[in-house]
Formats: sequence, C-alpha cells, structure tokens
Amino acid sequence: MSQRRVAITGLGLVSPYGGDLTDFFARLTAGESAIRHQRIDDQPRALSIPFVSCPAFDPDAALGNPLVAMMDRFAQLGMAAAFAAWDDAGLTRSADGESRDCWGVSWGTALGSTLTHEKVYRDLWQKGRDRLSPLTVVLGMNNAANAHISIQLGLGGVSMSHTVACASSAIAIGEAFRRVRGGEAPVMLTGGSDVPQAYGVARAWEALRVMACADADTAASACRPFAADRRGLVLGEGGAALVLEDWDHAVARGAPIHGEIVGYGTSCDHSHLVRPEVAGQIRALNATLTDAGLSAADIDYISAHGTATAEGDPVEIAAIRTVFGERAEALPVSATKSMHGHLLGAAGAIEAIATVLALREQAIPPTTNLTPDTLDPACSGVDHVFTGRRGVSLRTALSNSFAFGGSNAVLAFRAVPR
Amino acid sequence: MKSIELIRNFLATRQGIETAKVVPEAVLTDLGVDSLMMLELVFEFEDQLDIKLPHDLKSPKTVGEMVALMDGLITSQKG
Repeated sequence: MSQRRVAITGLGLVSPYGGDLTDFFARLTAGESAIRHQRIDDQPRALSIPFVSCPAFDPDAALGNPLVAMMDRFAQLGMAAAFAAWDDAGLTRSADGESRDCWGVSWGTALGSTLTHEKVYRDLWQKGRDRLSPLTVVLGMNNAANAHISIQLGLGGVSMSHTVACASSAIAIGEAFRRVRGGEAPVMLTGGSDVPQAYGVARAWEALRVMACADADTAASACRPFAADRRGLVLGEGGAALVLEDWDHAVARGAPIHGEIVGYGTSCDHSHLVRPEVAGQIRALNATLTDAGLSAADIDYISAHGTATAEGDPVEIAAIRTVFGERAEALPVSATKSMHGHLLGAAGAIEAIATVLALREQAIPPTTNLTPDTLDPACSGVDHVFTGRRGVSLRTALSNSFAFGGSNAVLAFRAVPR
Repeated sequence: MKSIELIRNFLATRQGIETAKVVPEAVLTDLGVDSLMMLELVFEFEDQLDIKLPHDLKSPKTVGEMVALMDGLITSQKG
C-alpha cells in the first residue's frame, strides 16, 4: 500500500508562560525558565517543590462551565490544547460537510485523573463522606480527555489513550502518525496532558529521590540537564496537541503546514523498571531513522529526553554518540525540560511542538542552566546548545522520549520550506 | 429550599440556563438534562435536602413532575 505523507497542520498548548505558541517558542529560545516554587499544603505535612504550573489557564473561559464540570483538570488542559490546535489548523469545531467518520484521536497521559481519585479518597476516608458524586467514574476514567475531544470535534474514528509513563504522548503521536500515513485516517488529533500536582503523586516522586529541590529563589534554575551539578527532574502540568493530516488533504484545503512528521520508532529496554539502558535507546533511534528513510547525516537537531536525573542523562548521550558516531560532536542537542519541566504524559507532545517550531523558525532552544563550565564530562560528546540559536539551517530533527518501564519512543520531523 | 429552586440553581450553575425557563411544564430533556445529569440532580436533592431516593426511582419527564416527586419524598421522609 502506498504511504501517505503526513503534514502537521495544527499546534496548540496551554503554555506555562500564559501566552500563545509564538510567545512560548520565543521564551524557550531565550532560555527562560517557567519553573516556580510551589507549596502544596496538605496532611501530614506540606510539600515544597519546584514545579511548573499553568496559572493563567482559565478553564471556564477556555471551555465553558458545562464542559468544565464534567472534567478532571487533566482533561481540561487536554481539551483546551486540542481546541487551540484545531483552531490553528483552520478546522471548524463541528463537521462542515466533509464526513469525519474516519478522523480520530490518539492521546497520551501517564496519570490521567489522579487529582479526581485523590479527592474521592480524601472525601471517603479523611472526611468520612458516605456518598460520591455520580460523575466520579466519568471524571476519573483515563480515556476521558480523548473521549471529550472526539465529542467536541465530531470525530467518528478511533478514540484512544496511551499510558506509557514519560513516553505516553510520544507514542500517542507516533501511533496517530501511522494511521494517517497508512491511509486509515485523513486527520488525527494527537498530544497529551497530565497534572502531577496531586499530593500523593508528588510525594511518590519525592520518595523516589529523583526530584530536584529548590526554594523560591532557586526554583527557576532547579532543572539542569547534562550539568555536573544536576539534582533531578522538575514536574509540571500541561496539555499539548497536534493535528496530523494527510498531506494531500491539507494541501487541498489550503491548510497551514508547520512541518512534516516522517518517522517513528519504539523499543523496550526489557531490563529494568527505572534504570535506562543505552542499547534500548539505540534501537529506538535507529528504528526511527529507518522508518523515516533517513541516515544519521540527515539529522540537524535532537530534542533530548534530558530529565536532569543522575542516571538518565549520560545514558541518553551515550546512545546518541553511538548512533551518530563522528557526527555526534557537531550535532546540536538540547533539553527543553530545563524550562517547561517534566510534563510526564504530556512531555512528548510539548517537546514535539518545540521541535516542529524549531524546524519552522530555524532556531534552536537551549538547555537552560547549562554552561560549558558546568557540563558533566559524562554527558559530553555532542554539540550542547547552551544558549538559543537563531538563523540556523535545520532540515530534520528528532524528539526523544525515554520512559520508566524501559519504553522508548523517538519521533522524526522535517522542515517544510516556507 | 424549595424543590424548584434547587433545580433552577443547579441548571443555572451547571448549564447556564435562565431561571425563567425552568417552569413546571418544561421538559427536562429540553433543558439539557440527560440520564447522567439526572443522576447529578438526584444526588443534589439527596445531599442538600437530606432525603433518600429509592433505587427504582422512575425518572420524571418534566420539571413539575420532579418537583412533585421530591416534595412527596421530603414530606414522607422528614414529616
């Protein structure tokens, strides 16, 4: 069967900076951190962590009260991002003539409605409430975001969510890509959303000892991927969405084309739940290059998974060095998690958007909080982007997502000449 | 609180429906009350008026039917 080219015609997110896509990418390229200090007051003790939230997000304004009341915050962020991407693609909210029976949604979330579940347990066991709202099941189900998106946009094709920890939305995007490329769906809405600020969730990450510590003065620089003084990841909430569209379909309706998605590869380390392995990541990188019909020499930028954990960063650089060989030294690599934090199930989506914008704008966002002096020697061997670069020539780029559980996913994107 | 006020407040908050439209003869489905929202309304009655609705409750069709049903339950359960 002939394969379809896949255009990216819509991008949308709930930005932690509060602005639009242009503002988001300008701030990323300027190296501006959205990380702030957050105190979660709860029993038995308050939790004080660096965190990325979306304080400007007004669910009622974005979605309207009737919809908001039916949704956990993870679905609210997802729906808002989906609406933004849909509008960006120039598509109408309701079908306007053309059947959408084959159009679908492929969403990613690691935690789903954890905030709702936490509230339920609190009501039952802490407050002694005897009864729960009849909306608890529909608020709490993990496929709530994709279900709402399908309903609101009138999409009659597949509606599904992927839960693969930190690779959830990268895999959601990749699976959506395959459906459009294979001719099953002319349009797929994809992306991810997550809200890791539930008290129990944040405490669980704290217990794993992989979260950076910071106070109000040091929060902005708390996440330092590839730096010798890195202290761990910073969690964040958010939602990010992309519209993937059959190239001919997009051209026929005169849609804006931000970029092209050209490859997707996956692998599993199959060795350890949380310790990443070079061999598994190499297989995912190579699978993606093969899927895209690209060679290592074609890649001009890698958006790294780069969480700033002690174990993860050197493994990722080692995998890149193996796959790209001598070219690695000159291959720009950056980790935008240093600025927008780790959005867990939405990480792959927000980083896919950053990568597509890098190709479109011919600019590379940096790993902020990293300098030549602080670079960990164990993470050297690639062209680390210490400050944002503009006016560069980028043809193709990769976005890495390497999850707990050993699941690896890599997406490949190509610039579209403007 | 009167039963009709509870319905009016709920629909105003939840669906943005004008209070003037929530009259006894109004059909609940026309006001956007589907099966799930009916459960929410029942939950509100139980919660706010401290009554217990039977499991085999027959869903009322109009606002007036719901008011009559609830008023009857309030009288029988709370005297």
